[in-house]
Amino acid sequence: MFTGNIRQPALAALVALVVWAPGLGASTSAGNVAVSVTVSAAAKLALGVSTITFVNADPDLVAAIPASEGAIAITAKAKTATGALVTLTVIANNDLASGLDAIAITNVKWTASGAGFTAGTLSKTAAQTVASWSGSGARTGSQSYALTNNWSYPTGIFSATATYTLTAP
Amino acid sequence: MSRWVATCLVAGIAGWLAPAAGAQTLTFSVTQTSIAFADADPDITPSLTATGVTLNYKVTGNAAGAWRITVMSGTDLTSGSASIPIGNLSWTATPSPPFQAGTMSTSVQQTVASGTGNVNTTRTGTVVFSLVNAWTYNVGTYSATLTFTLTAP
Repeated sequence: MFTGNIRQPALAALVALVVWAPGLGASTSAGNVAVSVTVSAAAKLALGVSTITFVNADPDLVAAIPASEGAIAITAKAKTATGALVTLTVIANNDLASGLDAIAITNVKWTASGAGFTAGTLSKTAAQTVASWSGSGARTGSQSYALTNNWSYPTGIFSATATYTLTAP
Repeated sequence: MSRWVATCLVAGIAGWLAPAAGAQTLTFSVTQTSIAFADADPDITPSLTATGVTLNYKVTGNAAGAWRITVMSGTDLTSGSASIPIGNLSWTATPSPPFQAGTMSTSVQQTVASGTGNVNTTRTGTVVFSLVNAWTYNVGTYSATLTFTLTAP
């Protein structure tokens, strides 16, 4: 029967643990794998319609003729450098033309919705900013075109082409 | 000899004579030291896949113990100031069991394979990594180092 100090069994256990300790502890073996990922610049643009139409209307009643197709849905996707400016622009190839007659393309204006999108006026001489963003991402918005209506317009069927450009440097 | 000294001696001798918990022999190697994910259109390839990584392992002296292969990344995937969260990297593995699928972490060892007892002959497993592809990734060449560890117990 043990009659010694109550601390002695605890000390004995501690000594045993210290002696035992080299036998404890997990064994390990390791190996490394290096991972690399390449991300390159890219740009992708989608427009909801390829043609818009302005129907004839009384200039006294309809001062600005909206496009019959309504708002144009736009999806712009880009991968670019960190913080780089991504831009979406539009430029017309000519005034609205019908034979020898013309309606100045600057009579075509738009409003816009969606983060980064801005309103503007078509031009045949300089690309106009439709939207801009910082860095990579997929963005959506819309444009709504309207043609200023005027009694001075000659009769005819007028047309022009607007070209959009999405740039991701 | 005091009873206290005798107790210590007995405990110490028992400690040396008992089967040592750390007497396992672990043999582990990774066949590939690097993997690469090539660029692709996220709309066409929403998940990028790299060449499989082969793990070779052997465990002896572990008759009653568990063993585990884990993996952890040192960092997110980084390219200068840009980064891709390492949580976008996941894997599938074969054979299952003992291998299992998972998602990478920079803070917690993730189990790739586990078992109990010995693995007396070298076995292999294949880990195939996939990376979420996204338009939000900035241009660059990203890197990270994955560390596989075989542990017993």
